[in-house]
Amino acid sequence: MRRITRYTSLLIVMAILLAAISACAAPAVAPSGAAEPAAGEEAAPAAGEVNFEFWHIQTSTPEILQNSVDRFMADNPGVNVEVVPLQNDPYKTKIKVAMGAGNPPCVFPTWGGGPLYEYVQAGHVVDLTDFMQQDSYVDRFVPASLSNVTFDGKIWGVPVENSAIAVVWYNKTIFEELGLEPPTTWDELLAIVDTLNENDIAPFAMANKTKWPSSMFFMYLVDRLAGPEVFANAATRSGGTFEDPAFVEAGQMIQDLVNRGGFVEGFNGLDIDTGQSRQLLYAGKAAMELMGSWNLSTMRAENPEWVEANLDFFPFPAVEGGEGDPSNVVGTIGDNFYSISSVCPYPEEAFKMIQYLIDDASVAERGPAGRIPPVVGFSTEDPKQQALIDLIGNASSVQLWYDQYLPPELGEVHKDTMQALFGLELTPEEAAAAHEEAAVKFYSE
Amino acid sequence: MAATLHDSSEARVVTHRRRRFNEYAVTAVLFLLPAFAFLGVFVLWPIIDSFRLSFYKWNGVDPDLTFLGVDNWVRLAKDGVFWRAVRNNFIIVFLSLLVQLPIGLALAVLLDSGGRKFSFFKVIYFLPLLLSTVAIGILFKYIYDPYFGIINATLERIGLDALTQEWLSNPKIALYSVIAVICWQYIPFYMVLFLASLSGIPAELREAAYIDGATENKYFWSIVLPLLRGSIITAATLSLIGSLKYFDLIWVMTEGGPVNATELMATYMYKKAFSSFEMGYGATVASALFIVVLVTALTVYFPLQRQEEDIAG
Repeated sequence: MRRITRYTSLLIVMAILLAAISACAAPAVAPSGAAEPAAGEEAAPAAGEVNFEFWHIQTSTPEILQNSVDRFMADNPGVNVEVVPLQNDPYKTKIKVAMGAGNPPCVFPTWGGGPLYEYVQAGHVVDLTDFMQQDSYVDRFVPASLSNVTFDGKIWGVPVENSAIAVVWYNKTIFEELGLEPPTTWDELLAIVDTLNENDIAPFAMANKTKWPSSMFFMYLVDRLAGPEVFANAATRSGGTFEDPAFVEAGQMIQDLVNRGGFVEGFNGLDIDTGQSRQLLYAGKAAMELMGSWNLSTMRAENPEWVEANLDFFPFPAVEGGEGDPSNVVGTIGDNFYSISSVCPYPEEAFKMIQYLIDDASVAERGPAGRIPPVVGFSTEDPKQQALIDLIGNASSVQLWYDQYLPPELGEVHKDTMQALFGLELTPEEAAAAHEEAAVKFYSE
Repeated sequence: MAATLHDSSEARVVTHRRRRFNEYAVTAVLFLLPAFAFLGVFVLWPIIDSFRLSFYKWNGVDPDLTFLGVDNWVRLAKDGVFWRAVRNNFIIVFLSLLVQLPIGLALAVLLDSGGRKFSFFKVIYFLPLLLSTVAIGILFKYIYDPYFGIINATLERIGLDALTQEWLSNPKIALYSVIAVICWQYIPFYMVLFLASLSGIPAELREAAYIDGATENKYFWSIVLPLLRGSIITAATLSLIGSLKYFDLIWVMTEGGPVNATELMATYMYKKAFSSFEMGYGATVASALFIVVLVTALTVYFPLQRQEEDIAG
């Protein structure tokens, strides 16, 4: 009896050890890539049982995606999708760790551009070109929406969520009370900044802890000063540099605006993910915010009465003497693009599910939620939203967010220099030089 | 006959003893094995692997790693942000030692002197330690909010407008704003630690000291404090190591910003490894963090430990 117990305990210990070692070995082996298809086959289920995971970051309107998935599951019995909503900034880390560990969900969102391209190059993403070409499905989408997910002539993601462009959101009640008109030029904007300051209202709300909100000013100013080519040439290393006079001048204009009192106090410490910039608008402490058009749906969800009574927007003003077309916009057509990971054992089912995310019923739901789905011919009754659609339709070019366009390493450098520029810790020349130095180093390796 | 019987029984006792020892060793090894295996897999192996990764360039998702030799370490040595992070870490170390331990001790002595009457306060003072760090971070982010936060609002209400600050945005004070919260969170921990040691001091000592004519002051400085020596060393070591590896509250409140003003070794490692996709360089920062913590802990701990033994001996 005693002997048996001893052997049993030995067995248990060995079992625990084996479990521990095998559990840990898996992630270590996964990045080699070779093991991935095998893992997929192994996981293939008994007939009629298909399970996969779908991550998204649409936490303000999760029900739209959930409804799509429910419709998909109702039409495809035996397929079960686990929907996992995640917060915006934590998601960026989570997906990267999951990818590195060879354990990503079947369907995941990106913003297209640099980070998606990293995953594509590493062989983690399914090429969707054939799926998209089937029955000319691709023609459903606005052509500009596919440029951020097309690499090497192939399509790697499906544009779904929104067309997001940065515009200046403002409190029209405050503007009316002070007799202000939406500005069409930078000088007019500066005059408004002065008037607001005289009335003890902070001109621009900004929550820049996560650094990307400040980048919007920089991107627009560069575009207005010199057009979109300056950035494209610098980023693709085709004859341009990040020390181009346009980047330096944009930096100077930003620091002038900061010194003029253009922003709320302490903006570099406020957190957009907890709504600290929007609260300033709701409370009437600040009058404007340069932010993506998603602000419309976010604010409607948070504070619908306030939005109805006070919110309006104007496009980023022109800069006198600038070469850029003032109709250009900065943003993304598609916003979130859904891709399929290459470890996914069911790419066909996954693609079918993605199609449900942007089917007619889903498009119809997105309109009232303040979204602009990237599909051809979308129009809406909502005047604000229609104005945004028109703005996008009339734009000569759409500049994708720099930090999404650039490879992640340079995207981080860009955001770091932006926070330092706005915090007056770097001069415009130093910021430009730091950016260029990082780019030279990155592309020389 | 009787003698042989005796001999053999003695021999049997010896073999029995040996067998019991063997059995004991086997049991001990069996019981220790899982712990060693887990430590090896989850602690030792990752440390070694981080050092290995620090010699590569790797973006964290690509199957291919590029060997760089010591390039990452050279880059680290020249990296101003990393050294700023090291400096910030040591500011946290010193302020934690200077603020957390004395206040923790003072609270412990106060609560200990009150006995049962102060049980209520024991619970109240202990509360910050029970809150999740992320909750504390978000809470204080609102408290420090320059427009809606309670600190600036209170200062304005009582006419001290001049003292209002951009608590988390001003690079000169952001670090101290966060350290204040760290102290608020951890003082209760040291309080409990000291409280436990204080309750271990026998009441006879106090009586004896009073009979010998010691004052309350004299009793504290000459008897209580030396008896707490072990706890103080433990607390200081814990505080030291914790401050060097610190991450969570800083990450929630400032993400190391604005402009690296509150950057720590751990937040810098995280940013490099997970935001910039520079896993190799992130591993270099992680390895450097490990070395800094190890060296600092050893240089502080061993002399103190030896002194302790000298006193005991």
